Amino acid sequence: MAKKFTLQPLPTDHLHLIQPQHLKINYRQELNPAQYEAVTSVNGPHLIIAGAGTGKTRTIVYRVSYLIELGVKPSAILLLTFTRKAAFEMMRRAAVLLDGRCEQIAGGTFHSFANNILRKYAGLIGYDANFTILDQTDAEDVINLIRTRLKFDTKEKRFPRKEALYDLYSRSINTLTTLKDLLALDYPNYLEQEADIHAVHAAYVQYKRQHNLMDYDDLLLNLTVLLKQHEAVRAALSDKYKYIMVDEYQDTNRMQAELVKLLTFKHQNVMVVGDDAQCIYSFRGSTIRNILEFPQEYPGCRVIKLEENYRSTQPILNLANEILKRTSFNAK
Amino acid sequence: MYYKELYTTRPGGQLPQLVRAENENMQSRYVVQKILQLREEGVELHDIAVLFRSSFLSFDLEIELTKANIPFMKFGGFKFIETAHVKDVVAYFRVLDNPRDVVSWNRILLLIEGVGPRTAEKIIDDILKKRVQPDDGNSALPTTRFWQEYHNYPEQVQTLFHVLGQAARPSVPPAEKAQQILQYYAPILKARYDDHQKRRKDLEMFQNITERYRELGPLLTDLALEPPNESIVDVESPGPETEYLTLSTIHSAKGLEWHTVFIIYALEGRFPTMRAVASDEELEEEQRLMYVACTRAKENLIITYPMNIYDRESGMILTKPSRFIEGIDEPLLEPWVVE
Repeated sequence: MAKKFTLQPLPTDHLHLIQPQHLKINYRQELNPAQYEAVTSVNGPHLIIAGAGTGKTRTIVYRVSYLIELGVKPSAILLLTFTRKAAFEMMRRAAVLLDGRCEQIAGGTFHSFANNILRKYAGLIGYDANFTILDQTDAEDVINLIRTRLKFDTKEKRFPRKEALYDLYSRSINTLTTLKDLLALDYPNYLEQEADIHAVHAAYVQYKRQHNLMDYDDLLLNLTVLLKQHEAVRAALSDKYKYIMVDEYQDTNRMQAELVKLLTFKHQNVMVVGDDAQCIYSFRGSTIRNILEFPQEYPGCRVIKLEENYRSTQPILNLANEILKRTSFNAK
Repeated sequence: MYYKELYTTRPGGQLPQLVRAENENMQSRYVVQKILQLREEGVELHDIAVLFRSSFLSFDLEIELTKANIPFMKFGGFKFIETAHVKDVVAYFRVLDNPRDVVSWNRILLLIEGVGPRTAEKIIDDILKKRVQPDDGNSALPTTRFWQEYHNYPEQVQTLFHVLGQAARPSVPPAEKAQQILQYYAPILKARYDDHQKRRKDLEMFQNITERYRELGPLLTDLALEPPNESIVDVESPGPETEYLTLSTIHSAKGLEWHTVFIIYALEGRFPTMRAVASDEELEEEQRLMYVACTRAKENLIITYPMNIYDRESGMILTKPSRFIEGIDEPLLEPWVVE
């Protein structure tokens, strides 16, 4: 009787066995050595430190193309960017470079990605699929309504306004910091009212649930909750998105870093791209620590630096380098 | 931080300049004259940007630019979706999509003359309690009947419900819904805003956006998550001339590049801000902002600061250049003074 050979799915680390001469694009010729190294790094965690004007977008575009040439299914690639426009632009450029498959990858912002997933699984976390997204001013209006309803507008002691409350709640979520710590740091005069501030928050959370509303933070928070509480969903998504890329990683917040961790838990195939020197959104909760601590969070991570600039003249770069080097301006 | 040193293989290039002006207006006039000069040399306006730490720092310059007839667009102000009239119109769409959206109900009911907070609350209460079942799972979308049960409301509210009922029909595509709603909203817009002509342009833009969608849900999601950047009311319209100069906060200039970049108000107390001076972490972020600003320039980088700026909060007169560039001299930075 004939012997049996059972076909197995190829392990993903098999991909790199494809020889460069069989690729349609000559990656080595079209990229500088650092970019080439980044583009052709496939499995495992990678941190690409991309200085200003060093061809970061180009690198991402070529890597999308490279992965697809290796045989990765477009739908298995997830590209998270700062704006949706950026994602579409990269996908469009990759499609021009290679072919239309590059436009079939999953691309968007953390918030739009969360939105898509949550519309599908809303029921699991007690929402209807047609939930409304509140922008910041809407959210502040709701908080104000609750503030008035709970009679905090007529208390003898000054109570934080809707803007301050929204800011507190939002940063508490995005930086994974307790309200108490934030109060101590930024609003010490409201520390005594911590309990009341918590009460308004609890009412706000309940109100949103009751009326099928999510604010921006809820999108990320609810996705985190969904992934943590429902292992089957987490596993399904991690299996689906086998190669995850995150652009502008220096501007991500704690919750976004956690989401990346949850999504990659099965394979750790994650490439984050960014420039720690351009982290400028901490007022929105982003933290430079994500990019600085990435190698510790992902043992075995390879760090690749892009330093050749294609934008500015050398005198401008000299000044920029000098500005970054100077550290003798400590706080008073 | 990860150590890195940017370099280029491209030869040549002019030294960046640090320009000191006696006061704010001299700084503005310097920038205007320099821009006119660059333009004569063949640098187009769209290849020039003026960057600043905070949005209000460009007010004086905006006046001088207008005097000199230099068209400009300003980025980093209010967002389109955050302006009152766009929020009004979006609110109608939101209740069509999610009738439990009390925030939007409240907004559109209060737009009706004669409906105050109390009446609005009563109506909303009625909508929620009697006719929308929060817990009926998947079928949370309202039925045709829902929109028709308005007989007991004040007349103006009946009209609103009638319009919404027409627009709610699933066979009506979003663009047509927009048309019906905008028609209803037109007199409200006119009555509420003095600059309704200007604001109408935003609504036209909104109408154009709706044409790209076949369903309401994705339209609203996109508006919430990825809104068009600037409102026309807030952007100084450059008119029929297409050539314009860019004014932008550094945050909004992220990822962009220009032939010539001005960084104005590189003044200690404005950049870094007074607030940031107290914390190492915030100072480092301001330093990175300066780095981001400088690396936007391809050929020319001109950093300016005015002297004799009175800071109301601290009572201090600000005169020193930003600590991020103070003391940097040739061969890195060429000092200039405006007379």
